[in-house]
Amino acid sequence: MNILEASNVTKNYAAHKALNDVSISIPKQSIFGLLGPNGAGKTTLIRIINQIIMADEGDIVINGEKLHPKHIQVIGYLPEERGLYKKMKVGEQLMYLAQLKGLSTGEARKRIKHWLEKLGLTDWAGKKVEDLSKGMAQKIQFIATVLHEPELLILDEPFSGFDPVNANLIKDEIFELREKGATVIFSTHRMESVEQLCDDIALINKSQKILDGTKKDIKNSFKAHKYSVSYKGELNGLSTMFNVLESQQNDGLSESLIQARNGESPNELLKDLIQTVEVHSFVEVVPSINDIFIEIVEGGKS
Amino acid sequence: MNSIFLVLKREYLTRVKKKSFLLTTILTPLIFPAIIFTIVYFATREKESRSDEILVIDESGLFSNAFDITSFQFTYIDEDVAEAKKNFGDKGAFGLLYLPNVDVQPDKIQFDGFEFYSKTNASMGSLSSMERAIRGRLEDLKLDRSGLDKEVIDNLKVSVSLNSFNITDAGESKKSNSKLSFAIGYGTGFLIYMFIFVYGSQIMQSVLDEKTSRIVEVIVSSVRPFNLMLGKVLGVGAVGFTQLLIWFVLIGVLSTAGLTIMSGGGSDAIMEAASQQVPAEAVEMTQQQVAAAEIQEMIASVPVVKILACFLFFFLGAYFLYGALYAAIGSAVDSIQDAQQFMFPIILPILAAIMSMFFVLEDPNGGLAVTLSLIPFTSPIIMMARIPFGVPDWQLALSMVLLIAGFIGTIWMAGRVYRIGILMYGAKVNWKTISKWFTMKV
Repeated sequence: MNILEASNVTKNYAAHKALNDVSISIPKQSIFGLLGPNGAGKTTLIRIINQIIMADEGDIVINGEKLHPKHIQVIGYLPEERGLYKKMKVGEQLMYLAQLKGLSTGEARKRIKHWLEKLGLTDWAGKKVEDLSKGMAQKIQFIATVLHEPELLILDEPFSGFDPVNANLIKDEIFELREKGATVIFSTHRMESVEQLCDDIALINKSQKILDGTKKDIKNSFKAHKYSVSYKGELNGLSTMFNVLESQQNDGLSESLIQARNGESPNELLKDLIQTVEVHSFVEVVPSINDIFIEIVEGGKS
Repeated sequence: MNSIFLVLKREYLTRVKKKSFLLTTILTPLIFPAIIFTIVYFATREKESRSDEILVIDESGLFSNAFDITSFQFTYIDEDVAEAKKNFGDKGAFGLLYLPNVDVQPDKIQFDGFEFYSKTNASMGSLSSMERAIRGRLEDLKLDRSGLDKEVIDNLKVSVSLNSFNITDAGESKKSNSKLSFAIGYGTGFLIYMFIFVYGSQIMQSVLDEKTSRIVEVIVSSVRPFNLMLGKVLGVGAVGFTQLLIWFVLIGVLSTAGLTIMSGGGSDAIMEAASQQVPAEAVEMTQQQVAAAEIQEMIASVPVVKILACFLFFFLGAYFLYGALYAAIGSAVDSIQDAQQFMFPIILPILAAIMSMFFVLEDPNGGLAVTLSLIPFTSPIIMMARIPFGVPDWQLALSMVLLIAGFIGTIWMAGRVYRIGILMYGAKVNWKTISKWFTMKV
C-alpha cells in the first residue's frame, strides 16, 4: 500500500522546467530517500506535495485520494529553509503552529508538554527563541513538524546544521515515528544518512527522475562484481576472466581490487586465488549510494 | 477561514502585548498637549526675558506716536544714527528704527531709506507691523496734504460680516463653519495618511521578518499564502484600530475635561480662583466661556455621525488598499534597504493626496477635488477632506464603490506577488521580476 503516488508531475517556471514528468510511489511506513543534487527539483516536488505550489501537469494522490487542502493536516513538513519567530516564546510558538495544523488548544498543550519533556526542553518553554542555542531551536522545529502526528513526514535536509549528537537524537525519533506508523520522505544530497536511514530511494537529476526502487535492489543492480582481496604472495597466473583493477602494499599484505568480467561467482575467483596466494580477507565490494549517485549525476551509467 | 483568524490573533497579540505599544498608546495623546504647552511656555519666557524696547530716531518728526504695537515699546531718541547703531544694545534695547527725513508730496508713492537694526533677527510679524505703522502715517499725511478731510475718508470705510449657512434637504438652514470643516477635513485626512504609513510599514516589516527568519515556508505548508497575507493585514489593522480607539477615548475625555474647565461648569473652585483675580482676567474668563459655548455650538453644527461613519469606511478602505501593497513589497525583498526602491511609487499617490489637500480644502467641490476623491488611491484622504463641506450623495457612493473595487484589486494583485515572493531568497528583484511573478502560475 502506498501512502503517496505522484504520477507524471511536471512543473515549469518561466525560464526552466523544474520537474519533468516525475512519477514516484512511496510505500506506507517506509523511509523514502528523495535524492538529487542541488537544484534538481526535489524542493519543487516537495512544495507541490505540500500544496505550496501547484503542478502544471500530473497528479498527486495521498491515501488513494487526490491532493486536497485537508491533506495539510496529514503532512508534517520541515523545509530546508526553516526558522522560527525569534521574538516569540517557545511554548506560544509551538501552540500557534499546532493550531495552524488544526489541533485543539487542549490537545496541543498536552503534546507540546510531552515533546518538550522528551527532548529535554521543558525549562525553555517560556523563553524566547532568540535566547535558544541553534541546536535547541532545531529541536523545536522538529517538534513543530511532528506535533500533529502526521502520517507523512517530509524532511528537507533535516540534518544540515545539526551537531552529531542532535542528529542521532533526531534519527532515533524518526525511527520511532516510523515504528508508530508514520511514513518519512527524506530529501537530501548527503548520502551517508541515506545509507543508514532509507528503505526506498528515488534519484532526481536535472528535473527528471533517473532511478527509483528499494535501496537493496538499486545497490544490487549497480554491483560491478568487484572484490577486495588482501593476501600474501605474488598475484600471477590468475585466469583471464578476472581483471586486477588496482593493487597496493600494506604492512606486508597486498591488497587488490579484482573484477569478475562476466559476473563469475566469488567461489571461482577464490579457487583461482588460493592456488597462487595466501588469502587473508575476501570481501565483495557493494557500491555505496554515494558512488551510485556520483556515477549517475556525473553522466556515467544510467 | 480559521487559519486567517489564527494569523490575525497572533499578529494582534504579539503587538499589543509589547511594552512599546502600551507606551505609545498612552503617551501619544499626552504628547501633543505637552508639546504645545512647552512651546507656549518657552515663547512666553522668551518674551519676558527679551527686551521689548525699540529706539526710534525720527529725523522728520512726522512719526511721533505712530507706533501702536503692543509687543514693543518705542522710545524716541535724538542721537546720531552711526552712534546709536553702536550702542543701542548696551542701552538694553532690542532694536533701532531709523526714520530719515522724508519729503511727503501728494504724488510721491515710493518712500525709501527707513532702516531697522537689531542684534537678532526681528520676526516677520513685527517688521510688517512697523511697516504698516509707517505706511499708515504716510498715507494720513498724504491725505492731509491733498486737502481731503480725514473724517470723510473715515466715514467711507464700512464693515461687513458674511454669515454662511448650509441649507439641508429638509430646508433647514444651519450655520456652517468653514473653519471647523477645514480642521475636521484636514485632521481626518492626515490621520489616514499617518495610519497608512505607520501600519503599512509594520505589515511590510512583519512579512519581511517571516521571510528573513525563514519560518514562512513552515507557515505556508499549513496556511494558504493569501490567507496568511490577509490575516496579517487584518491583524496589524486591528492593532492600529485598538490604538486609535484608545486615543479617541483619551482625547475625548481630555478635551471634554478641558471644555468643562473653560466653560466653568462644575468647577466652581477654578471659577472662584479666577474671580478673585484682577477684573481684566475675569472679563477674559467670560470671553472664554463664550468661546467654549461657541465651540460646542460649532461641534453640534457638524454631521458627526456621518463624518465618523465615512471616516471609518475610508480609513479601512485606505488601509486595506495600501496594506496589501506593503505586504507585497515585503514579500518581494530580502531587507528593508531593498524595499526602498519599491516604496516610492506607492508613497507617491499618498503624498499627492496630502499635497493637494490644501487646494481641495480651498475649493471642496472643484474639479481637482472631485477627481481625486473618486480615484481609490487618493480618495480616502481627499474625500475625508471634502465631507465636512458637504458632498453630493452620488459622488460619495461612487467613491465608496470604487474604493472597494480598488482594495479588492490591490489585495488580489498583492496576493499574486506575495505567494511567489515569500519563497524567493536572494533573488535580484526589480519591477520586471515582480511583474513576472504576477503572471506566474503557482
